[in-house]
Amino acid sequence: MIVYIAKRLAVALPVLLGISMLAFALIHLVPGDPVTAMLGIQYNEEQAIELRAQYGLDKPMVVQYLVWLRHVLTGDLGHSMLHDQSVARAILERLPVTLQLAVGSVLLALVVSVPLGIAAAMRQHRAPDILASTFGLLGISIPNFWLGTMLTLLFALVLGWLPSGGYISPTEDLVGNLRYMLLPTLALSGAVAAVILRMTRSSMLEVIRMDYIDMARAKGASPRRVVWVHALKNALIPVLTIVGIQIGYLLGGSVVIEQIFTLPGIGRLAVQSINARDYPMLQGVILFVAVSFVFINLIVDILYAWLNPRIRL
Amino acid sequence: MREFWYQLRRHKPAMLGLVVLSLMAVAAIGAPWLSPHDPYAMQVEHVLGSPTPQYLMGTDQKGRDIFSRVLHGARISFKVGSIAVTIALFAGTAIGLIAAYYGGIVDFLLSRVVDVLFAFPDILLALAIMAILGPSLTNVMIAIGIVYIPIFARVARGSALSVKHESFVEAAHSMGVSNFTIIRRHILPNISAPLIVQATLSFAFAILAEAALSFLGLGVEPDTPSWGILLSRGKDWMGEAWWIAFFPGIAITLAVLSCNLLGDGLRDLLDPKARKAS
Amino acid sequence: MIIEAPSNRSILAIVLATLLLAVAGCGKSTESSPQAAADRQPEGEPEPGGDLLVALQADGKTLDPHKASDAASMRLSENLYCTLFRYAPEYGEIEPHLVADYAFSDDHLQLDLTLHSGIRFHSGRVLRASDVQFSLLRMKTSAGRRQQFTALDSVEVLAPDKVRLTLSQPMAPLLTFLAHPMSAILDQELVEKHDGNIDRVDAGSGPFSLVEWKNDLHCKMKRFDDYHVENRPFLDTLTFRPIPDDTARMIALRNNEIHMILDVAARNQRTLSNVPSVKLETVPGTFWEYLGMNTTRKPFDQVKVRQAVAWAIDRAMLNKLVKFDQAIPLMGGHIPPGHWAHAEELETYPERDLQKARELLAEAGYPDGFDTVLKVGSDYSYQVNAAEAVKQFLQEVGIDVRVQAMESSLFFDSLGSGNFDMTLVGWLGAVDPDEFTYPIFHTDAQWNQQGYSDSEVDGWLEAGRRTFDRSARRDIYQKVQARIARDAPMAFLYANARTVAMQGTVYGFVPHATVSSIFLRDTWLDE
Repeated sequence: MIVYIAKRLAVALPVLLGISMLAFALIHLVPGDPVTAMLGIQYNEEQAIELRAQYGLDKPMVVQYLVWLRHVLTGDLGHSMLHDQSVARAILERLPVTLQLAVGSVLLALVVSVPLGIAAAMRQHRAPDILASTFGLLGISIPNFWLGTMLTLLFALVLGWLPSGGYISPTEDLVGNLRYMLLPTLALSGAVAAVILRMTRSSMLEVIRMDYIDMARAKGASPRRVVWVHALKNALIPVLTIVGIQIGYLLGGSVVIEQIFTLPGIGRLAVQSINARDYPMLQGVILFVAVSFVFINLIVDILYAWLNPRIRL
Repeated sequence: MREFWYQLRRHKPAMLGLVVLSLMAVAAIGAPWLSPHDPYAMQVEHVLGSPTPQYLMGTDQKGRDIFSRVLHGARISFKVGSIAVTIALFAGTAIGLIAAYYGGIVDFLLSRVVDVLFAFPDILLALAIMAILGPSLTNVMIAIGIVYIPIFARVARGSALSVKHESFVEAAHSMGVSNFTIIRRHILPNISAPLIVQATLSFAFAILAEAALSFLGLGVEPDTPSWGILLSRGKDWMGEAWWIAFFPGIAITLAVLSCNLLGDGLRDLLDPKARKAS
Repeated sequence: MIIEAPSNRSILAIVLATLLLAVAGCGKSTESSPQAAADRQPEGEPEPGGDLLVALQADGKTLDPHKASDAASMRLSENLYCTLFRYAPEYGEIEPHLVADYAFSDDHLQLDLTLHSGIRFHSGRVLRASDVQFSLLRMKTSAGRRQQFTALDSVEVLAPDKVRLTLSQPMAPLLTFLAHPMSAILDQELVEKHDGNIDRVDAGSGPFSLVEWKNDLHCKMKRFDDYHVENRPFLDTLTFRPIPDDTARMIALRNNEIHMILDVAARNQRTLSNVPSVKLETVPGTFWEYLGMNTTRKPFDQVKVRQAVAWAIDRAMLNKLVKFDQAIPLMGGHIPPGHWAHAEELETYPERDLQKARELLAEAGYPDGFDTVLKVGSDYSYQVNAAEAVKQFLQEVGIDVRVQAMESSLFFDSLGSGNFDMTLVGWLGAVDPDEFTYPIFHTDAQWNQQGYSDSEVDGWLEAGRRTFDRSARRDIYQKVQARIARDAPMAFLYANARTVAMQGTVYGFVPHATVSSIFLRDTWLDE
C-alpha cells in the first residue's frame, strides 16, 4: 500500500509542477506589462517598484518562476488589488461556502442516485429503469445555470418559500444557512446525480452477472442480501471513482451556480477577479482549485486501491 | 458502412437524437429565412409580451421576438460547437497519437501535459483563457477548443496503444512504411470510432460551455443573441416575464440531450467494449 | 413644459413631469399600496432598538469617505462618519452637524467654525479642531473630494474647538460642499496609525460604528452610544448586504429577508407596489443618465456629429423601454425639474428627428455614418439595456455602434482616462447647481471625461461660484445648460425619480433626492 501511495505521489508531482507553471504563465500571457496588469486601476509607481522586487520581475523568467514558487510554497499567493487583501486569505474566507456547496451536492446526489440506480438495474428495461434512464439523460443535458434559474423562479419568486440568493454562515444561523444553500445545492447536484445514477446502474448490472453473486445465491443468501451487501459493495467501487472525477465538474459548476445565487464562494471570486482584471487573485484561485483537484483525485485513487486490492498489481 | 447505418436506424434513441439535431442544424443554417421577425427589431408596443400565435415564445424587454432570437442563437451555438470540437479533435488526436506511437519519454511528457490540463475544471480553464484572450466569438471557440483537447488526447492515446502492437501495424513497420503513413493508414482508421463518439459528446459540452461563458458575461458580446446571453438577460426579467429565460433553456437542453442520445447510441454501436458491458 | 405637436408618448411624459413637479412643490410624496397606507402612521413614539437590514446594489470598494466614488462605498461610509454640516430632510437645505456656530467674513473669504463640545470618535478620543484641519487638508488633496476645495487656501486652528477656513475666492456653495456626506471629518490619530490607508478602517464619529465588513457578504455596523446628537440613532445594528441582481433584491424585500432597498429599479416598482407589506416612497431624484461623446476624438470632435446623435435618440421610447416611463426624458438641460436651477423653457431636442440627424451627419462629412464603440458598465443592467437600444437608434442614421459592456472598475477607469468614444452612464447630482455642472463641464474639471471645453461656459461656471444671489445664479446656470445642450458633449437621456422601498415596519427614514442614506440615523423599527 505504501509503495502504491508513493508511486501515485511520484506521478502527481510533475502534474503539480506543471500546474504551477501554467498558473505562473497566466500573468505573463496577459497582454501588457505584468505589473501594470497586476496593479490594474490602482497603479502607482511606488507599488510597481515593490512588486517588481517581490516577484523579481527584472530577472530571467526561470528565476522569476522559482522566486514565485518559493512564495507559493510558503503560502504567500500574492496580494489582491481588488479588496486590498492577501489572496490566500480571500480564498480561505470563501472556501467554506464552496466546500459546503460541493459536498452538499455530492451527498444529495448519492442519496438520490444510488438507490435509484440499483432499482433500475434490478428491474432492467422496466418502469424504474426507464424512469432512471430518462432522469439520467435529462440530468446531464439540462444546463445547471438554467436549472438554477428555474428553481429560483419557482421557489423564490412564485412560491416565496426560499431566498433567491445570498448567504448566511452556518455558525451564525444554521437554519438560515440551509435555506440559502438548498436551491444552489439542488441545481448543482442534478448533473452529478445523473452521472452517478448511470454509473451505479451499469456497474450493478455488471456485478450481478458475476460468478460470486451466483455463488452467494447458491449458498442460500436471501435475494435482498445479495443485492444490498454483495453486489452493492462491489458496484460502489467504480462509483467512487466517478465521484472523484465529478469533483472537477463541481468546482467548475460552482463558478456559475455561485454567480446565480450570489454565494460568496471561490467560483464567484474567480469571476470577479477576471472581471476586475485582478490577476494575482485569478492566479491564486486557479492554482488552488487545480491543486485541490489533484489531491482529491489522489485520495480517491488511494481509497480505490484500498477497497479493491487487485488494482495495486 | 451500410451495415452501420442499418444498425443506427434501428437504434431508436440515437435516431431520435440525430433527427432532432439535424432539424436544429437546419434551423440554425436557415435562421435568417425561417425567423418570423427581425431578432434585433425593438417594438415598444410588444415589450414583455407573453407567448401568442404571432410571437410563439413571447417577446423580451425590448419587444423583440424570442423565437427569432432563439433561432439565431442556434446558429451561434452550432458554430461554436463545431469549430471548438474540430480544434479539440485535431489537436487532441495529434497529441494522443504521437504519445502512443513514439512512447517513452515523449509519451511521458505529453501525458503529463494532458494531466495538467485535466486538473483544471473545464469552465474555470475556459474562463482563464477568455481572461487572456478577451471576450469575442472567435475567442470563445478557441478557449472551448483548448479545454477539450486533453479528453481527445486521452481517447486517441488509449485506442492507439491498443492497436499499436496488432500484427498489421508490426507488418507495416517491418516493410519500412514511414511512421506518418502507418499512423494515417493503419492506426487512425482503427481508432476513429471512439473519437467520433467523443466528438458527439463534446459537441454537447461545447454548447453548454458557450452558454455558461456567455451567461457569466465572459463570452460573446452582450447584444449577440447567443443562447447563454438570452438566458442570462432573461434571468434579469424573471419577475416580469418567465418566458424570456425559459425558452432559450429548453433550446439548450434539447440540443444537448440530442447529442447525448446520439453519442450514447454511437457508443453502443461503435465501441465493442462498451457494447459488451451494457 | 411645452411640447409642440405632442405624441402619445410626449403626453405621457408631460403628465409624468407635471406630476413630479407638483410632487416636488410639496416636498416629498408617498406612494404606497392601500393596505400599507392604512398603517403608515407610526403608532406612538419611535422605539429604540432593532436590527435593520438594507440591500445595496453592489458591495462597497472602500470605507474611506475621501476616496469613495461609487454609490455603494458612499452608503457605507456616510453612516460611519460625521460632516461639519449635513443635508436637512428638505432637499436643497442644509443644517449644522458637528458645527455649533459659524460665521462668514464680509468678503466671504473667511469662514469661522465653532465645534460642538465633547464629540467623540469611535476610538473614544475627543474630536478637536485639529482633526477638522487635518480632514479638510486631506480632502483638498484627495481624489474624491479635491474638486470642491480648490479655493480652500488654508485652515487655521484658533482654539481646540475653533477653526478658520481661508479661501482664495468667494465660494457660494461652500457650506453645501461641506455638507456633502463624503466631506467627512476623520480621526487624525487613527488615520496616521494606518499610514493614511483607511479603506477598511472606521475612523469616524458617526451614528454607527463598524463591526465587520466581509466582502460580498455584508457590512455590519452597530449603534455608537456616544453619538453627539441625543437619542440617536434608534437602531441597535445596521447591516448592509450587497444584492447585485434587481430581481433578487426585489424578491428579498418581498420575502421579508431585508427591510429596505434604498433605490428601487424602475421596473421593480410596479411589482413591489402590489405587495401589501411593503411601502414605497418616491421623490424627484438627482440621478440623470446621458450618452457621452468624447469630444477629443474623431468624429465626435465635430459638434454637428454630436448634435446628430442627440437628434437620433428617441428619449421617450428609451424611457419606456428601459425605465417603464418612470423617468423624465431630458429634452433640454439636465438639472432636473424640481430643482430651482432647472431650465423649464429649454427644449433643445423636443422630439426625435432622423431627417435633421442625417443632414447634420452629411454636413459634418459623414453622409454614410461611421463605426464606433459604446462602452457601458456591465453591473448596470439598465444601462446595458439602454445602450443596446441606442445602438438600434443610431443604426437608422448609419452609425454602426458596437456595445462593449465592461466591469465597473475598468469601465470607470477608461472613462476617467478618456479612453472611450461613446459611453452611456449616469451622474448623481448633489444639491448645488455647481455640483451638476462644474465638475463635468469645466475645461479643467476632474470629471470632464468628454473633454468638453468652452471658454464662455468656463467663465459662467466660475461666476456661478462667486455669485451669492439665487436668481442671478439661476440665470447663470440656465445659460450654461442651454449652451451645453446645444454643444452636446452629452446627449442627455433622462432624470430618474428616487424611490425607496421598505417593510411596513420601518419608520422615520427620509428619502432624499441624492440617494443619501444619512437618515438611517432617524430610522426605527416597529416590530
